[in-house]
Amino acid sequence: MKRAILSCSGMDKQMGSLARELAIRLNEKTGDEVVCPTLLASLPARYEELLKAASLVVIDGCGTRCASKLANKYNAKVEKKILVSEAARELGIDPESGLTPGPNGLKLVEQLLRDVERDLSEETTPGNSVMELAPPEDFLIVTHDKYQFKIPKEGFLFNENDSWVRPVGDKARVGVSDYVQQKLTDITYFEPPALNANVEQFGELGTIESTKSLLEIVAPVAGKVTAMNMELTDNPGLINEDPYGSGWIAEMEMSDLASDTELLLDGEAYAEVVKRKAAEDAG
Amino acid sequence: MSETTFMGVPREKIPWYPTIDYDKCNFCMECDAFCPHQVYEHREGDRKLVVANPNNCVVFCRACGKTCGPDAISFPVKSEILTLIKNLRTEELVG
Ligand code: SF4
Ligand code: SF4
Repeated sequence: MKRAILSCSGMDKQMGSLARELAIRLNEKTGDEVVCPTLLASLPARYEELLKAASLVVIDGCGTRCASKLANKYNAKVEKKILVSEAARELGIDPESGLTPGPNGLKLVEQLLRDVERDLSEETTPGNSVMELAPPEDFLIVTHDKYQFKIPKEGFLFNENDSWVRPVGDKARVGVSDYVQQKLTDITYFEPPALNANVEQFGELGTIESTKSLLEIVAPVAGKVTAMNMELTDNPGLINEDPYGSGWIAEMEMSDLASDTELLLDGEAYAEVVKRKAAEDAG
Repeated sequence: MSETTFMGVPREKIPWYPTIDYDKCNFCMECDAFCPHQVYEHREGDRKLVVANPNNCVVFCRACGKTCGPDAISFPVKSEILTLIKNLRTEELVG
């Protein structure tokens, strides 16, 4: 698929100016067209065709994530996202203030450019999915107003942060619940957890973005991420369509399910949590 | 209105909530617009935004932190809170 680059305008803060710098350099390397964010916001028709045909590399400067919001607004397909402020923190680089990039800022841009190029050229290794699981068939249904939330009766455990785990031996599949996918509405982007990462119980297992909100996936169990659902990169909406089946998030090798179970809920208990949350949502 | 327990532990015993670094905050109010749980409130004066209802914050949620441009929001360390919750649960069961 054709690719295009959408970044922060870079006129507000230093992290933004680095996002802009990264976009320019990526364009020089790859030749992918750069979408001007202000032009897109004021005259969307200019990019209508491009956004239909291309998937975007979205580069946000800071957590305000204006570029992401624009991509959402115009229903663009997103292949890859970079958040410069977060990357700076992770890499331990402290860019100079001011809108003209200084030496540290440029070092950060160079590093990010290498990372993005690598990520875009390699097929991301999805890990080996080793589990073949039939989708659940029996559900508890929690009804609230016009909403219905499904919860598999058996074989799944939940945390109060709306993630599920389906253990088989010392392996497990994890995902998010029907309740939370409905609450998020249309899911537009899935940022997978790192393959082979060791995650604590309640640690972060990637993030999900929807047109309305953003969710950090809270790991239901501790363990090592052995595979992730790469279908979600092309089609994050699977989480909406089938949260307990084809919309699974990752596979893990659990380190201590017995101890984690202490802080997990079975379907019945999670149904009570969903009832309470749905009532609170309604105010 | 807010949840009163988390995994059986009274919510007010769990110190999980955002902390605003006022040296960085520019009062854009993105975090408040984002959070559906009335954790933040607007005020008159220098500190136009405060964490008014910390116990409304969903334990282990950090979502509003990711919407903050100047990176002014921080949270406790998850593993420490987890240990605390486990200890409190043992107490609840015994007590
Ligand atoms: S999002 Fe960050 S900068 Fe904006 S009001 Fe909240 S804490 Fe302050
Ligand atoms: S962490 Fe989540 S629940 Fe807590 S204040 Fe932020 S958005 Fe609201």
